[in-house]
Amino acid sequence: MTLPAPDRRTAKLAGAFVDLRTALGRVLVGQDQAATGLTLALLAEQHAYLEGPPGCGKSELAAALASLSGARTHTLVFHRDIRETDLLGDVLLSRHRHPSHERLRRELIPGPLLQAEVALLEDLPRSPGEALGPLLRILAERQALGQALPLESAVATGPLEQVEAPIDPLEPGQLDRFAVQLRLTGLLTGQLFDEAAVLLERESARRPDRATHQPDGAAYRPDRAAHRPDRAAHRPDRAGPGPDAGETSAFPGTGGPAAPGSPATPLPAVMNTATRKAAQAAAAALQIEPRTLGAYHRLLDRLRQRSADESASGDRLMSDRSFSSAALRLVRAHAFLRGAPAAAPRDLGAIRYMVAHRLPDEVQEDFDHILEELLGDPPNVTMAETGAQMPGAQSQGDDSDGAAAASPASDSWIDDQADLPAPPTLFGKPPPPAQVDPLLRALVGRIERGRIDPDTDPGGQPRGYRPLRDLDELIDADAIEALLFAEGRLPGAPRTFERKRRSAGGAVAVLRDISASMAGRLTVWSSQVVLGILRVAARRRMRVGYVEFHHRALPHHVGGRLLHRSYSRLAEQAGQAKAVGQTNYEAPLRTALEGLRGGSGRNRHVVLLTDGLPIIGDTTVRRERQLARRLGVALHTVFLGNGDCPPVLDDISLETSGLRFCGRPLAGGGLRLEER
Amino acid sequence: MSSLADRVPRSVSDLTPLRDLLDHHVVGHDEVKTALLLALITREHIYVEGPPGTAKTRLAEVAARGSDLDFFFYQLHRDTRLAELVGDIVLERRKVRTDGDAPGTAGEAERIHQRIEPGGLLTAEVAVLDDISRAPGEALNVLLRILNERRFGAEPIPLMAAIATGNPMDDEYYNEPLDPANLDRFALQLRVSGLIQSGVDDAKTLIDRFAAGSVVEQPDPEPVTDRATLDALNRRMYDVEVGPAVRAALLDVLRTLVLEFECNETNSLLTDRTFLVKAIKILRGAALLAGRDAVDLADLAALSWMTTFRVPPEAHEALPRIVGRVSRQIQAV
Repeated sequence: MTLPAPDRRTAKLAGAFVDLRTALGRVLVGQDQAATGLTLALLAEQHAYLEGPPGCGKSELAAALASLSGARTHTLVFHRDIRETDLLGDVLLSRHRHPSHERLRRELIPGPLLQAEVALLEDLPRSPGEALGPLLRILAERQALGQALPLESAVATGPLEQVEAPIDPLEPGQLDRFAVQLRLTGLLTGQLFDEAAVLLERESARRPDRATHQPDGAAYRPDRAAHRPDRAAHRPDRAGPGPDAGETSAFPGTGGPAAPGSPATPLPAVMNTATRKAAQAAAAALQIEPRTLGAYHRLLDRLRQRSADESASGDRLMSDRSFSSAALRLVRAHAFLRGAPAAAPRDLGAIRYMVAHRLPDEVQEDFDHILEELLGDPPNVTMAETGAQMPGAQSQGDDSDGAAAASPASDSWIDDQADLPAPPTLFGKPPPPAQVDPLLRALVGRIERGRIDPDTDPGGQPRGYRPLRDLDELIDADAIEALLFAEGRLPGAPRTFERKRRSAGGAVAVLRDISASMAGRLTVWSSQVVLGILRVAARRRMRVGYVEFHHRALPHHVGGRLLHRSYSRLAEQAGQAKAVGQTNYEAPLRTALEGLRGGSGRNRHVVLLTDGLPIIGDTTVRRERQLARRLGVALHTVFLGNGDCPPVLDDISLETSGLRFCGRPLAGGGLRLEER
Repeated sequence: MSSLADRVPRSVSDLTPLRDLLDHHVVGHDEVKTALLLALITREHIYVEGPPGTAKTRLAEVAARGSDLDFFFYQLHRDTRLAELVGDIVLERRKVRTDGDAPGTAGEAERIHQRIEPGGLLTAEVAVLDDISRAPGEALNVLLRILNERRFGAEPIPLMAAIATGNPMDDEYYNEPLDPANLDRFALQLRVSGLIQSGVDDAKTLIDRFAAGSVVEQPDPEPVTDRATLDALNRRMYDVEVGPAVRAALLDVLRTLVLEFECNETNSLLTDRTFLVKAIKILRGAALLAGRDAVDLADLAALSWMTTFRVPPEAHEALPRIVGRVSRQIQAV
C-alpha cells in the first residue's frame, strides 16, 4: 500500500506541535515524558491529568502548555469551598412580565472556564466529589448551559495519592475523564541526580524574574490597588503575549527555563489558534493503517491479561470510553507528530501516556516491553527524540528515550504493589504477593459498621445544602440567595453549605507475630497484610498501633504513645520485621488492650496476625478476652500458613465478634486470605 | 568585578539597623532573627514552630514594622474561610435587558458577578499567619498556593514573605497535621523553644530587660529600613556567585540524604522545588548576609533551616555532620 506523502501544509502544522513539544521539554529538567504526553493531549484534544509529588513542577508544565499553545486559557485552583459560580459563571436573574403573570428565572452565564480553550484545573482532587461531578461531566461532554464549549484540553494537576493528605483520592471513574494520565517523578526522590545537577546549574545562573520582581514596590501598594477595582481575581486571561507581541527570546528575563516552584513568566506562544486548530483537525483525520488496528487489539489483549494476572490490583480500569475513541485519537496524534502519513503500529506508543491510573503498576512498568514484543521489530520510537528533530521530518532516531520513558515513576507506598518499602527478598526475588483484599474488605465492613456517619463540622467538606438556620451562617450561604434574602426577595431562607467531616475516631492495633516460624515468605506476606490494614486505617484517619511479638511484645511507640497517626512510619517498620523467637499471645494482646483502654467509642479493633500456637504466657488468654469484651474491642484473628488454625484463635474472635481469617499459600506461589 | 565587591559589605550594613531593632525588642532567638532577615532578602516564606509565648509573632511584627512594610496578621482557626484571608467577597449587579421568553413580553434581568475585593494577604507585603496548624488542611491549599505563586488569579501580589507559626504537633487534638505539600511552601523552617522553659542565659536577660522597661509588651518601632532597600538587596542576591564546588557539595548532601538516610516520598519532603531551586536562593542569601559575593561551603549550614520538618529527625540532626563531611571531601579534591 502506498500512502500519499504528507503535503507541506501538514508538515508545517506538525512542525508547530513539534516546536511545542520541544519548548515544553525545556520547561522542566528530566520530565520529557510528561512534555510529550501533554503535547499529544492537546493535539488529540484530550484531557490530561498530571500527578506527582509536591514541588516537581506540575503546575509549571501545565501553565507552559497553555501559554505556548497560544490558547485562550483559564486557571482555576480547586479548594474545599469551590462553588458552582466559580466553575460555571455569573448568575443571571431575569424577570419576565407577562400579561397574566411574572416569571422569575435564574440562569448561569458561561464564565471564563467555559470560554477557555485550554483549562487548567489546579489541585483538582481538593474539591469534594459533589462539586467535581458536574464539572467532569461538562469536560467530557464539552458542552454546558446548552452550548458547545471551545474547550480543547483540560489539564488537571493533583498530588500523588498520599495517605496522610486530608483529601480523598479521585475515583477511577472521575480519573477516566482524563484520557492522558501522567505521573511526574521528583528528581531527588527518584534519584535522578544527574538531572538534579543540571537544574542546580540553571538555578545558579538565574537572574531576577521580571514577572515577580517589582523594583518599584510602591506600584503594588494597597492604596494603588484600591484604584483598580476592576482587576477581578478570576477573569479570562490570555496567557502569554501573542505571536505579534514582539517577544523573540524563548525565555525572556531568565537565564534559562523555568524551574519548579518559580512563578513562570508566561512563555510566548509557538503557534496561533488557527494553526493549532488546523493541526488538531488534520491529526484527527489521519488514517490508521489496518495492521495498526490489528496490533492494537493484540495489545489490549495483552494488557488485559497481564492486568488480570496482577490480581491484587483489581481496581484498575480499562474503560470503553478511553480505550476506543480517546486512545485512537492519541495514536493518530502520535503519528501526526511524527510526520507520518498514517498511524503505524509503532504509534501505539501513545497508549503509554494513558496508563498511569488504568493499569496495575507492574504492567505500566512493562508497557514498553510488552509493546516491543508485540511489534516484534526495532524498539518503539517515542516522541521525545522525534520532537527534537526537524519539524515534520520523519524520524529514524535511535531509542534514547525508550529507557528513560520506561523507568517507572516511583510510587507512594499506598499504591497497591508498590506498598512494600524494600520488601525482604528471598532467593533474589520477592514471592508472589498476598491477596489481602478479602480481609481488607471484611475489615472495612466492620469499621464502617462501627462508624457513625460523617459529623456536621464547620470546618468540614461541603456535602450538600440546607436552609440557613442562623445568621452567622451567611458566610457559607449561597451568595446570590443571601443577597435576595437580604432584600426580602427570597421566599424562605437562603441555602447554605452543610459541612461534614468524617469523624476521625476509631483505632486499630495490629499485632504481628514475628516468631522464628514466620521467617521467609510469611514475613513478606504478613508485611503486606499489615500495610493493607494501615492503608485502610489511614483513609479513615483512624489511629493505629503496631505491636510485633514473639515471646515478648514489642510495641512501636510514636511520641510515647501506642496509638497515633504516623502511618508512614509504621509502614516502614512493617517492612523491616525480622522473624525471631517463640510465640506468646498474652503479652501483645495485653499491650494492645492497655493502649486502647484510654480511648472511647465503638470503633476499636485489634488484628492479631500469627502462624502458630502460643507457647509462652497464658495460652488461652482468658483475661485478655474478658478485657476486650468489657472494652468493646473487636479482636480479629488472621492465621497464616499451612497448619491447622489453633482453636484459641476462633475463641478469641467469636467472643469479641471479630473476624476470622486464614491465609493459604497458593500452588503457584502467593497467598490467598479467606474467612475461616 | 570590583564593583560587586564594593557593594557587598554595604548590603550587610543595610540590614544592621533592622537586626539591631530585632535585638532591641526580642531577647535571644538569634537563629530565628537571622532566618527572618534571610526570608526578607530571599523573599521566601518561613515557618516557625514552637510553644505559645516564644515571641514568634513579636519577631515577625517587629521585622515588618521596622522595614516599613504593609503587614497583615491573621489568626487561623478551624473555621477559616478563604474570604477572611484574601478580602471581601463582592457581588456586582448589573441590569441587563433580555428578550422576553415569548414575543411581546418585556424582559428585565440582573446579572450578578461574584468576585473578591483584594485585601488581607493580597495587599500585604509581610503576612503573619498565626497557628497555621489549626486550620483544616483542605482549607489551606488556596492560601498556600497564593503564597507560592505570589499571584492570585492573574494578578501579582506584593507579598515578600509570609511568616507562619504553629504549635508543636504533639497535641493531636487541637492541631491538624499540616499537609506535606502545604509545609513545603515554607522554604525556611525553624523550631524554637522558650527561653525560660529551656533555662538558657537569655532568660535572665529577658526578665532583666522587662524589669528595666527597655523591652515593652507592645513594641511600636519606627521604620529603620524600607522596601526599596530590601528590593535592592534582593536584586543583589542574584549577583552572588554559586560556584561548581558549592553545587557539587549541595548535591552530595542531597544524595547522602536520599541514599544513606533513605529519605523518600513517604518519610520526607525532599522536593525539587525546595532543594534544587530554593536552596540556591537561600545559599545566596546566606552569603549576602555574611557579606560575601560568592557562596562559600560554610553557607551550606543554612540548609538545616530547610530540613527541620522535611526529613526524619535523625537526618535533620545529622545534617551539620553531613555538611561538614561533604565540605571536607570537596575541599580535598
